[in-house]
Amino acid sequence: MALVMDPVEDEIRALKGITNWHGKRVLEVGCGDGRLTLRLAKFNPEKIIAFDPDPKLIRTARKNLPEKYKGRIEYRVGNAEHVKQKPDLFDVVIFSWVL
Amino acid sequence: MVHALTEAQRVLKPNGILIDLRSAAKHRCAGLGERKRWKLVGVMREDFADDIAADRAVKQVVREGLFQQESLVEFDLDRVMDTLQDLRAWLDDFSTDKLPSHDWLYQRVERALEKKRDGTKIAVRGLMRLRLLRKVEH
Repeated sequence: MALVMDPVEDEIRALKGITNWHGKRVLEVGCGDGRLTLRLAKFNPEKIIAFDPDPKLIRTARKNLPEKYKGRIEYRVGNAEHVKQKPDLFDVVIFSWVL
Repeated sequence: MVHALTEAQRVLKPNGILIDLRSAAKHRCAGLGERKRWKLVGVMREDFADDIAADRAVKQVVREGLFQQESLVEFDLDRVMDTLQDLRAWLDDFSTDKLPSHDWLYQRVERALEKKRDGTKIAVRGLMRLRLLRKVEH
């Protein structure tokens, strides 16, 4: 049994086309198990901080984080309405299926 | 929702961007086959109250001058499944008090699949919306 989301990568093509991600500091809100985070990492942002309110999903995301992205991707438990980050810190905030 | 958007505005650098990625308020379609060979079998029935509220929240923060909208892109997103069990599991997530059961859709896909050769994939196709909002400085 398997469910494959976006096998032809239309989503990632749309995200790549909408802005330049290279060297940017990115905050991903609602990262779930990190499916989209790992796709965004391929665009070479400087850093991605990704959070989700579900601790189980964050555990899965951390478990699936490839060695090469450690240090560049950080997963945290948190919610969109109380972002525990300082002001004026990110170039890009992405709400993935959050609103 | 407005609070989440306000938080995003707070943590963004000057001239930073907010990307809002989510499903469009349009019923998803279940079908057989992949990409251009995909054939519609049935249209789901979904509740869009949250999507409509989210659109309102975005309009509000634009109206209040926190962000300005720069672009809006729409594209199809497919969820491709190997088996009917995958479809069942996915449809079960939509079973709530507010929504009708999708048993009829499952059965329709099952019947359509019987006429196809082994290995035919099931794909649910939905319209996605990608909105780019830029932080406005005051």
